[in-house]
Amino acid sequence: MSWIIGVDVGGTFTDFHVYDDESGELRLHKTPSTPDNPARAVLNGINELASGELDLARVGRLSHGTTVATNALIQRRGGKVALLVTEGFRDLLEIGRQIRPHMFSFQQDHPTPLVPRERRFEAAERILYDGSVHRPLDQGAIDRAVDQVRDSGADCLAICLIFGFINPDHERQLRQALQAALPDLRISISSEVQPEFREYERLSTTVLNSYLQPIMGSYLGEFEDELTKLMPNANLGINQSAGGLMTPERARQLPIRTALSGPAAGVVGAIDAARAADLANVITLDMGGTSADVCLIRDFEADVAYDRWIEGYPVRLASVDVNAVGAGGGSIAWFERDGLMKVGPQSAGAVPGPACYGQGGTEPTVSDANLVLGRLSPRGLLGGGMALDVAAGRASLAPAAERLGMSIERTAHGVLGIVAANMVRAIRTISVERGHDPRDFVLLPFGGAGPLHAVDVARALGISRMLIPAAPGILCARGLVVSDLREGFVISRVTPLVPETMADIAANLTDLRQRAETWFDRTEIGVDDRQTMYSLDMRYIGQNYELQVDLDNGEAQQPDLAVLAEKFFAAHERNYGYHNPDDPVEVVNLRVTAVGHLARPGDGAAPGSAGAGAAVAEYERPVWFDGEAPLDTPIYDRAKLAPGQALAGPAVIEQLDATTVLGPGDKCHVDDTGNLIVELAND
Amino acid sequence: MTDALDPITLEILRNSLRSITDEAYIALTKAAYSTNIKERRDHSIALTDAKGRLVVQSENSLPIHLASMLGMMEQLMEKYGEEDMVEGDIFVANDPYVAGGTHLPDVNLAMPAFVDGKLLGFVCNIAHHADIGGMTPGSMAGGMSEIYQEGLRIPLVRLFRGGELVQDIFDLLLLNVRVPNERRGDYFAQVAACRLGARRLGEMAQRYEPAMLADAFAAIMDRTEARLRDSIRDVPDGSYEFTDLLDNDGMGTVDIPISVRVDVSGENIAFDFAGTGAQMKGNFNMTFNAAQSAVYYVLKAMLDPDLPNNHGLIRSVEISAPLGTLVNAVHPAAVAGRANTSQRVVDVLIGALAQALPEQAVGAANGANVTAVFFGHDPRHDRTYLYLETLGGGFGGRFTKDGKDGVQVHITNTSNLPVEAIEAEYPLLVESYGLIEDSGGAGKYRGGMGIRRVVRPIGHEAVFSGMGERFAHRPWGIFGGQPGETGRFSIQGPSHNDETLPDKPNHVPFGPDDAVVIETPGAGGYGDPAERSEDALAADYRGGKFSAAYLRKHYGFEPPAD
Repeated sequence: MSWIIGVDVGGTFTDFHVYDDESGELRLHKTPSTPDNPARAVLNGINELASGELDLARVGRLSHGTTVATNALIQRRGGKVALLVTEGFRDLLEIGRQIRPHMFSFQQDHPTPLVPRERRFEAAERILYDGSVHRPLDQGAIDRAVDQVRDSGADCLAICLIFGFINPDHERQLRQALQAALPDLRISISSEVQPEFREYERLSTTVLNSYLQPIMGSYLGEFEDELTKLMPNANLGINQSAGGLMTPERARQLPIRTALSGPAAGVVGAIDAARAADLANVITLDMGGTSADVCLIRDFEADVAYDRWIEGYPVRLASVDVNAVGAGGGSIAWFERDGLMKVGPQSAGAVPGPACYGQGGTEPTVSDANLVLGRLSPRGLLGGGMALDVAAGRASLAPAAERLGMSIERTAHGVLGIVAANMVRAIRTISVERGHDPRDFVLLPFGGAGPLHAVDVARALGISRMLIPAAPGILCARGLVVSDLREGFVISRVTPLVPETMADIAANLTDLRQRAETWFDRTEIGVDDRQTMYSLDMRYIGQNYELQVDLDNGEAQQPDLAVLAEKFFAAHERNYGYHNPDDPVEVVNLRVTAVGHLARPGDGAAPGSAGAGAAVAEYERPVWFDGEAPLDTPIYDRAKLAPGQALAGPAVIEQLDATTVLGPGDKCHVDDTGNLIVELAND
Repeated sequence: MTDALDPITLEILRNSLRSITDEAYIALTKAAYSTNIKERRDHSIALTDAKGRLVVQSENSLPIHLASMLGMMEQLMEKYGEEDMVEGDIFVANDPYVAGGTHLPDVNLAMPAFVDGKLLGFVCNIAHHADIGGMTPGSMAGGMSEIYQEGLRIPLVRLFRGGELVQDIFDLLLLNVRVPNERRGDYFAQVAACRLGARRLGEMAQRYEPAMLADAFAAIMDRTEARLRDSIRDVPDGSYEFTDLLDNDGMGTVDIPISVRVDVSGENIAFDFAGTGAQMKGNFNMTFNAAQSAVYYVLKAMLDPDLPNNHGLIRSVEISAPLGTLVNAVHPAAVAGRANTSQRVVDVLIGALAQALPEQAVGAANGANVTAVFFGHDPRHDRTYLYLETLGGGFGGRFTKDGKDGVQVHITNTSNLPVEAIEAEYPLLVESYGLIEDSGGAGKYRGGMGIRRVVRPIGHEAVFSGMGERFAHRPWGIFGGQPGETGRFSIQGPSHNDETLPDKPNHVPFGPDDAVVIETPGAGGYGDPAERSEDALAADYRGGKFSAAYLRKHYGFEPPAD
């Protein structure tokens, strides 16, 4: 053993990052995606790898990032869900937080609830805030629930009761009775999906999970069967939204955990690249065809967020804290009603794609602007096999240029300026607004379009350094290869931080630690490969939002009031710019994240042999860095750049999966692991 | 039209200006102490040009703050003028009658931003303080009949002079409010937001030259004006009128008319509130700039929801209202509850414009900001508690679809408190929280439904107070749509026997055997009920939102036999 395969399913391509942990050999592979059945592209790719003499019997692990859940939500192809809630709360799913999505719009609505009112049933029962039973769940109520759910014809069921996260007895009794009566019904209960305080977000998350269970179940069922035939010795790991893998069994129970997993794999891959370059604090910029995701990483860790939205529905779920903006290669430039130019969020998508793809697109996109300015090669991506149509790109920009009374190049330059400004805003949101100065970070662009725009974004933010990983276009697949097994455990108890409650807090942390150990044992993770991370969600009494406070092992084993308070104050100071040491504090959630380290590649493969001195350009072409005149710019082939070699901007560096642009005066060298390290020229 | 800047450069500059207001907005949210600011986001940030004209407002700003900023800046330019200001000055004000405010808890700050000694513009913010003094804690209860009872009146004065705190003024401000330590925190949060904005504006001026920024300010306003006038041109010329009645002022005056006439001619639009009733004793009056805010809200919502908030919008619209009416109240009218009246003014404006813009119009919404306050002594923790909530209701039927059920409408959009949070914090049991059957007015597209919430105290006696509107006059439908149901407060239990409470109840005692029932109004339907599709009726019936009897009566619908 063994090969480790990371497979990331994208909209256009399915990417493979394949690594042999014995020889260190690395193989990268791409195959066209098959959106109607994504598994086919994965199996196609595996067969292609096998015909390239990869011994499938020697594959030990396949880590898979799947978009099945995300797509099912977008296309509303989930299951027929029935819902059981506490009596009096049938409409909670619809009322939500009673807010409108747009202050000034009469027309904009939240999406229709995934469970229509006629399949939402009430159970006569009530649990109180302390877990005590105010109204018992009797047999009559259980029988009624069974009848109602059976008659509804639902194929899956969500159960979410008020305070079910503190006392799950009623949820479990209902599940047991329903499962016994309806063995084929898939059931999600809130106390297992996300046992946390705040009924609406827990309900919404449970319903989404239930909705996705049938489709994830059938997808993974078929997929595992095929995989076992092809690769009898491979363990399958499914990527989750917080980064890290879970077993297919877990993914079938909790498919909602995959719904935001796309950006997570890229962030994990970025951390791996940053670690290889020993750069602990980076901001990632993952730009693809339709959008850009940005994420802030400190000390090789990305922040985890819990409150997110998926397709207009709120979810409470651990996920890598990325901020998305509608800025990608396919984003369309247009004029707002006041005559100002905007770029995105509308995108030409994969079909018809940018005008320069020659597939029928006519609207000007970011890619058209890049091509017109010489930043993208008319020959397309190296090895992409798809030439780009400069004339079509120019034609798409011509109407805008005419309206503006500008040259096509100046218009194209303006499009890139606007798209960079949009990304700058997104990065300011995750840095400046959370108390971090972006100038203290390295920008790490990836995705097909990230390295094209990164210098503009970095300069606008005052960032002086960039790291461009070896294969920026398939960093997500690399992230999958280096992902560990991960599981989260939470106890949600509002507990004042006072001397009398420290024993409760300690007991709850012990309980969580034991749950993590049980999980480690079950997943057969060796003792040396176990890592547990503790955190508390805390707030001042009276506040509505919590701050996450991380504890080290010692602090979690013997929690100390003064230490916990100090850590909370520091977090409050960092996030809100003040703290008041005299105000009472409370703990809302206690969490443990268990990480089981899997065998992972070393520091990445060094491409080619070490070289020194200046890199040699392939040729020169005119590239526009402003709207006035082009510069004759050397074009490099990244595959021929060896560690230690250096070059200076203006330059364009092309490779199979991405294009990097450096401005005049920027300096770049290749580090030992094949990363490009760029030092930006000051303005 | 200023054409000094091309639409690309201008877009990039506007993007940067919006980043500044949004960053200052977050800074204020995070540094503040008042729940209203931290959780309900009852604050906003604006940048103005050197003449005090609004250029950019933060993304999440509330509609009512738009004209309040405008009022303050007008007073500031009039009272002080540029020559009187130096770098580091910060002005403070809240008074509706001498300083352009809308009610006293909204405290406005403005800081001039200088670049190389030259005034570039102002950074302003508004924040709703949790208390501004006056006769009741929180400064927001009903039953106040003149502004002096509502809290401390701050004319436009300097809080900072050349960067130095004017301690005398600050002492005066803090002495007159409850929990002064917290309010000090709110003031400093506002000061920090002003300074952050001014610093960022200065950085921008270094990058782009002050003259270029001044050009950008002018161009942004010009383009917004042109964009709005373009939309107005699409409104058919004519004169459109509408009148509705406010239920009451909680102090004896009932059925107060709110009237408006809208005159549209080419690219001009004018609103005249003549015919509106006299200002009232109770504190539901509005100052003129609150009425302006309602007009700007409706114009944006019906013509162009994404229209930027700036002076270009303000100067494109003519608004008049007779002095001494409830939409242009004069000193010393009480105004704390102006948000309820604003909701009703919004409905009246939509009613008038519906004749010109039938596709953009909607049926009357719940027309209120239904407020429920529970007060008592918590036996679990031996402490006094006060729990305040505002509840949504129906949103009117629309041209192509039903109204929204159970939402906050128009000028308010604050979220509810989770039931699990309420019960963990207060000795109350929320027995149910749902939509009210049959409450949305019938129509081709029906009105939205009201909310019913039933609350019972656990193990103690509590008191209930509340504020409701459209508890007497039903929310009307349009183009043949039927009215929705009114709201109601009541008490169920042995000692009260399902007794209906007043619509502005004050200190009603109730115990563990009783439950308070809050029912918010629904909304009016759109179009003739006879045109409602069979599918929609079947869904109304299947989901149980409407009873068979109601559907039969209003639509002649016969439920399918099972």
